[in-house]
Amino acid sequence: MAVSRRRFLALGAGSAAGGFGPAGCGSQRSLGDPDEITLWTWDRSVSDELVARAETKGIPGAQGFKLSRTNIGGHFNTKVRTALAGKSLVPDIIGINSDVATYFPNQDMFVDLNAFGAAELKSRYLDWKWSECITPEGRMIAFPMDTGPTGLFYRADLLQEAGITTDPKELAARAPDWDGFIALGKELRRSQERAVICPNIRHVWSIRLGQLGSKFMTEDGRYIGDRDELREAFELAYRIGREGLSAGAPEGSPDLYGVITSGRQPVGIGAVWWGLAFPESAAPKTGGKWRVADPPGGSGNVGGSFLAITKYSKNPEAAYKFITWLQSPENQVKAFTEMSLFPSSPHSFTRPEMRESRPFYGGQRTIEVFGPSARQVRTVNKSPYDRVMDPVFAAELANVESGKNVDTAWRDAQNTIERELIREGAI
Amino acid sequence: MGLADALRGKTVERRGRTAKPPPDGSRPLPGWRRYWPMYTAVSPFFLLFAVFGVFPVGFSIYLSFMSWDGIGETRPIGWENYAYLVTDSDFWQSIGNTLVIWILSTVPMVFLALVIAYALHTTVRFKAFYRVAYFVPNVTSIVAMTLVLGSVFSDSSGLLNSALRAISAGEVGWLSDPWAMKVSVAAITIWRWVGYNAIICLAGLQAISSDVFEAAKVDGADNRQTFFRITIPMLRPVILFVAVTSTIGGLQLFTEPQVLFPVDDNGNVGGPGGEATTIVLYLYQQAFVFNRFGYGAAVGWALFLLIAVFSVINWRLIGGRDEDAIGTGKRKGKSRAR
Amino acid sequence: MRAENAARSRTTVGHAVLLLGVLITVFPFYWMFVMASNTTGDIFAYPPKLIPGSHLWENMNKVFDGIDFWGSMGITVVAATSVTFLVLLFDSLAAFAFAKYDFPGRRVLFWVVLATFMIPMQLALVPQFVTLAWLGWVGSLKALIIPGAANAFGIFWMRQYAQGAIADELIQASRVDGAGFFRQWWTVGLPVLRPGLAFLGIFTFFHIWNDYLWPLIVMTDPGKVTLQVAVQQLNGIYTTDQSMVIAGALMSVIPLIGVFLIGSRHFIANLAAGAMKF
Repeated sequence: MAVSRRRFLALGAGSAAGGFGPAGCGSQRSLGDPDEITLWTWDRSVSDELVARAETKGIPGAQGFKLSRTNIGGHFNTKVRTALAGKSLVPDIIGINSDVATYFPNQDMFVDLNAFGAAELKSRYLDWKWSECITPEGRMIAFPMDTGPTGLFYRADLLQEAGITTDPKELAARAPDWDGFIALGKELRRSQERAVICPNIRHVWSIRLGQLGSKFMTEDGRYIGDRDELREAFELAYRIGREGLSAGAPEGSPDLYGVITSGRQPVGIGAVWWGLAFPESAAPKTGGKWRVADPPGGSGNVGGSFLAITKYSKNPEAAYKFITWLQSPENQVKAFTEMSLFPSSPHSFTRPEMRESRPFYGGQRTIEVFGPSARQVRTVNKSPYDRVMDPVFAAELANVESGKNVDTAWRDAQNTIERELIREGAI
Repeated sequence: MGLADALRGKTVERRGRTAKPPPDGSRPLPGWRRYWPMYTAVSPFFLLFAVFGVFPVGFSIYLSFMSWDGIGETRPIGWENYAYLVTDSDFWQSIGNTLVIWILSTVPMVFLALVIAYALHTTVRFKAFYRVAYFVPNVTSIVAMTLVLGSVFSDSSGLLNSALRAISAGEVGWLSDPWAMKVSVAAITIWRWVGYNAIICLAGLQAISSDVFEAAKVDGADNRQTFFRITIPMLRPVILFVAVTSTIGGLQLFTEPQVLFPVDDNGNVGGPGGEATTIVLYLYQQAFVFNRFGYGAAVGWALFLLIAVFSVINWRLIGGRDEDAIGTGKRKGKSRAR
Repeated sequence: MRAENAARSRTTVGHAVLLLGVLITVFPFYWMFVMASNTTGDIFAYPPKLIPGSHLWENMNKVFDGIDFWGSMGITVVAATSVTFLVLLFDSLAAFAFAKYDFPGRRVLFWVVLATFMIPMQLALVPQFVTLAWLGWVGSLKALIIPGAANAFGIFWMRQYAQGAIADELIQASRVDGAGFFRQWWTVGLPVLRPGLAFLGIFTFFHIWNDYLWPLIVMTDPGKVTLQVAVQQLNGIYTTDQSMVIAGALMSVIPLIGVFLIGSRHFIANLAAGAMKF
């Protein structure tokens, strides 16, 4: 160690100066340069091409502003909320997943989009989607991005092997409800002994939940997560597991892809993005063999997302310009063709690009299934406490799948939820 | 003299008497002018400690009686956080997990460290090479190496299960079975720390006079007898040091389980069933994934209590009998063996 | 003759044990290189590919595309160097004063230093974050540097070192020459403490470089994180491309191993000596 004391001091002082110099002295509330509108999203949530255009050529309608987008890996809400709690370097715009209501208690962290006349655009978007952006106090804290209308995905070749019709209309007529869907699964067993109709039973639960007219809480904050309709959905998931029609793949495990690539799951109900996330990316070799039909049990929505402007934004107006540009009906079409992000604006459903036949689905026009499905989704009251309750049901269903008694699991779920809601001060 | 003595106030007292400032004939300065340089010298630590230690700790008492998501308003809720904590099965599970992983890692690690140290001690050649090779894991990044070992442990396609399959042994759910998950975390910890502890044990061994081993050899003791009858007893102080540091480290385990089992969409941590959730990971989850800052503060106090209890046990073990105190042990050991 | 044989066989057994241990210790590094230089498909195939492949450069390029590797490296280097410098400065000053000078309150103050040593700072993880938020430091380098700029371990360790290493006579002589406290620290203390400083320096540097929980929480801007967090982010976004993730891990580890191999002999010797001082 031949470092002299003087050199050591100089070295250290230099590096310390390097540490503070660029950081500056005052704290910076808004992330990015003064002419940058910063955006945080997760992978595959927005059109990469449109974002790249706004990054290089500037934001249309907002002179002098450029976009700077960051893709967040890992748990998205953790990053966003930690940044909000940290009160510095908060991005101008954040993506919010379908759990937008969890941000309602923090509504003053976000800009009320009504201030920019967002109401004028209301007619462009699906009613149920639009209403999810608005807090009980009437502030519009988010703007619609994509939606997740569900459909019945199926492998035409494998259905044919089992002697089942491959026509979308006929298949939908054959499995109009969940019982029909279960019967379909049993028929598939004729040609493939280990065939399943879902990756795990939590999947059934979330799809069924997306078909119902209400979730866990009423608008005035009353808990209704113990009603019969939900109990039946819980039992339905259990029943499918008992019939051996679930693969029992753990959430987030590679097995979720395995059941698709191996063809063990020839049918599945999923949101439109499911097609891209699973068959299209995990099993490209099955291209051309997939079809889509109306889902058993009725239309529903799973997933879909929003954009919101934080109160720390350096220029909310420019941020608003960007959001409305990115989510204009034309650009939603672009997001659909590029990333399979299904529009929240029915105006785009009629565009020729949307009506193109999709080679991966044997040339089918999938919009004919998802378009009507998206329009029929019912307006559902989402509660800020959903994020406390959702994991409870998911965990208990995982327990059911590994052998827990379904009645006990239901009771335990209700007890846990009551305890959690009391703790959150919700009831 | 060591930390144990110092904490009991001995060292400080002794030094207090023997430290020698001025009597060099210069006229004594008034107190402040004489002492300000020393106070200035020690002040950075106390200043930082006040801002980032005392204040947050005090503030966390206040926070632990609040319901707060870190963003909105705080809401006083009295003892509710603590009441919830006592009956929170996830919290107790995390304590159980931490203790199990701690035992699964510390016990084999101390043993292996001793074996390696002993082998190093009796080996003359390549010592420098071995020491470096064994120490490298400790200075490499935990995140990077956990990712590597995580892919080795992967259930469906990891190297370990491929090897098991090749020899037709049953595959193990290293990242899904409740026990195997803990073993995986423990294995990564052992891998990282065994060399470090071996080198400390080696230092302890080298402090033992070679006369003792010579005498044992003359008496016809074989390797095993020497190891268990002489080496280990004489190393007791060093082993205790290793045990204490592993306890402190083990109770604060975070990175390995956090990287091995990333936070999932529902905000769950610690893998399937949360079987690898440690206390600090649980604290992180409650505070920063679920944004329960108030509850996180309460969990922090529970963690503090737990570590305090273990520390007291440890200090009892070390400081209980003077002759075994680390640092004097090696001298005493020598005379006792003669 | 028999004793010689016994000694030889003991040595052979010793080497066998040690070599086996080294194999296990070093294997993950080898495997890291194998993974980083193959494609994900090759590694997860059965039987897996066990020798290095030719895709290292390709995987590394993907890392450069996926995260701001050099930016993260810069942040990590600046943070680790700054903290190391400040720790050496503040800890050696405090240790010098505690070891060699008497002043009112010294006993109490030193006891406080030792007591803080015992408090697990994770206890205050949440309020520490909140404190930083109030200061407006969240997301900035200050959050990584200032809170760790002086520590109890370093003060305790350096004080132990200083007591044994610095002769009182030297200080007396310096004082007779008219030197004040800081001059004595500079001319008498530091030169003698140099080996101890080197150890504490490397120790601190590694510690900050490898720290994970704290930067994970306080570096909220994903474009400005330390290497550890960047590698974890890489894993979060590109889970399915393990080869690329491991290539990133490899790149984050190389500088550390380099620094360690240069200073290893010195470092290990001091570590052992340090442990014996407890």
